[in-house]
Amino acid sequence: MPILEVKNLNVRYGEQIILDNISFDLEKGDALAIIGPNGSGKTTLLRAILGAISFEGKITLVENARIGYVPQKIDLARDLPITVGEFLSLKDAGKSAARQTPAYSPKESLNLVNLSPMFLKKRLGELSAGELQRTLIAWAVIGRPSLLLFDEPTASVDVAGQETVYELLHRLQDKYGLTLILISHDLTIVYRYASKVLCLNKAQLCFGIPAEVLTPGELTKLYGGGRKFYHHMHSEN
Amino acid sequence: MDSEFLRTAVAASLIAAAGGALGSLALLRRMALVGDALSHVALPGVALGLLFNFNVFLGALAFLIFGVIIIWAVEHKTKLPVDTLVGVLFTLALAVGAILTPKENILDALFGDIAGISAFDFWLASLISLAIIILLLSFYKKFTLSLISPDLALSAGQKPHILEFLFLVIFALVTAVGIKFTGALLMGSIIIIPAATSRNVARSMNQYLTLSAVIGVLSAVFGVLITNLYGFSLGPAFVLFAGALFFISIFFRR
Repeated sequence: MPILEVKNLNVRYGEQIILDNISFDLEKGDALAIIGPNGSGKTTLLRAILGAISFEGKITLVENARIGYVPQKIDLARDLPITVGEFLSLKDAGKSAARQTPAYSPKESLNLVNLSPMFLKKRLGELSAGELQRTLIAWAVIGRPSLLLFDEPTASVDVAGQETVYELLHRLQDKYGLTLILISHDLTIVYRYASKVLCLNKAQLCFGIPAEVLTPGELTKLYGGGRKFYHHMHSEN
Repeated sequence: MDSEFLRTAVAASLIAAAGGALGSLALLRRMALVGDALSHVALPGVALGLLFNFNVFLGALAFLIFGVIIIWAVEHKTKLPVDTLVGVLFTLALAVGAILTPKENILDALFGDIAGISAFDFWLASLISLAIIILLLSFYKKFTLSLISPDLALSAGQKPHILEFLFLVIFALVTAVGIKFTGALLMGSIIIIPAATSRNVARSMNQYLTLSAVIGVLSAVFGVLITNLYGFSLGPAFVLFAGALFFISIFFRR
């Protein structure tokens, strides 16, 4: 039974079509990468799954599904007087507290993303971009989600840090059977970490296993002609 | 110390504590100006109360709730720019209020009238302020989350739009109880200045919230003292003291 089923999803802002007839489904443990050019509706699709916007069509989540969400950026004032520990305990206020599976403690969730407990006392504004991103991941996994939505993990992290965030996601996925949806611009990441890929340009141009559906022809259709795609094969070692 | 002085000091402190706590949350979302504008919307209600001789609290509250509904609806149900509309709405309210307010009351309505506090007003203001403080403390995590990031709040199973509306209603309540003391023009300062001061020095949410309330209370007590000694209006006395603390706090910015 699929953990997420999206059927004939349409999103419009007035006359403007943002998402046009999207249908796909995910099994437990899948890692879905959503790719597409800017303005193709990637974030909108995540927000629809999250229930943040109104849409037509059907989005069915498996019963008792818990969603964790890592936004692309979080618009915090740098001088906001809130510590990481306080931030992580805000989630108790959500529904997660009422569920049978107990949520992680703030300390445990920091541990999951390889941040030391001393970060509990730091203010959010003091963190580096990479640390903030890890904190947001800790926030997302604290309620033991079954589905993790991740909006462009690399957006604020340098190249050296990039791999570790993906490795981190990969590790969480392996360990907890997490289902993952991530938006990515980086095809290398898609080939390496995604079990399924969805090509989006308002309409759904492809859906399937990356190595099968990401043909040069499909990519040209998705991003337009005149762009060369370099795909570095990584040997598994 | 006479009992009227004490009564005023207690009521003003409770209002300032509620205002400070509320302000610390409002500044999370940079809502300072919405709040300031909102307090002006109360003026026509105050004017009607003065004209037709009913408690200005009721008049102020009615107009404030109306203002809250408009601001909330514009933000979530239309594509109109909120800032612009708030700007138009509050100057409009100020104009209507200024025309309606009897000439001899205009200064009191704008800057507060502490001498006019009755026993009933005292109890009303104190109890409502106390209720607001309790409400804010019990919902503070939810408010914090939905104010700093509606998307994260949503993913945690909250309903940020509803929480935001509830927050604005509490905002309206604080403003309505405070307006008799500080007047419409200065009400925003009760909410903004202590929170802004606290934000300069606080190192955590707990400190921030507590310190906002404490600074509010200190400023209120100082304001009442000065008012008693020199016969100023409470509103300006409060703002002068709180404003001075704010400028001092800048030097202690962490």
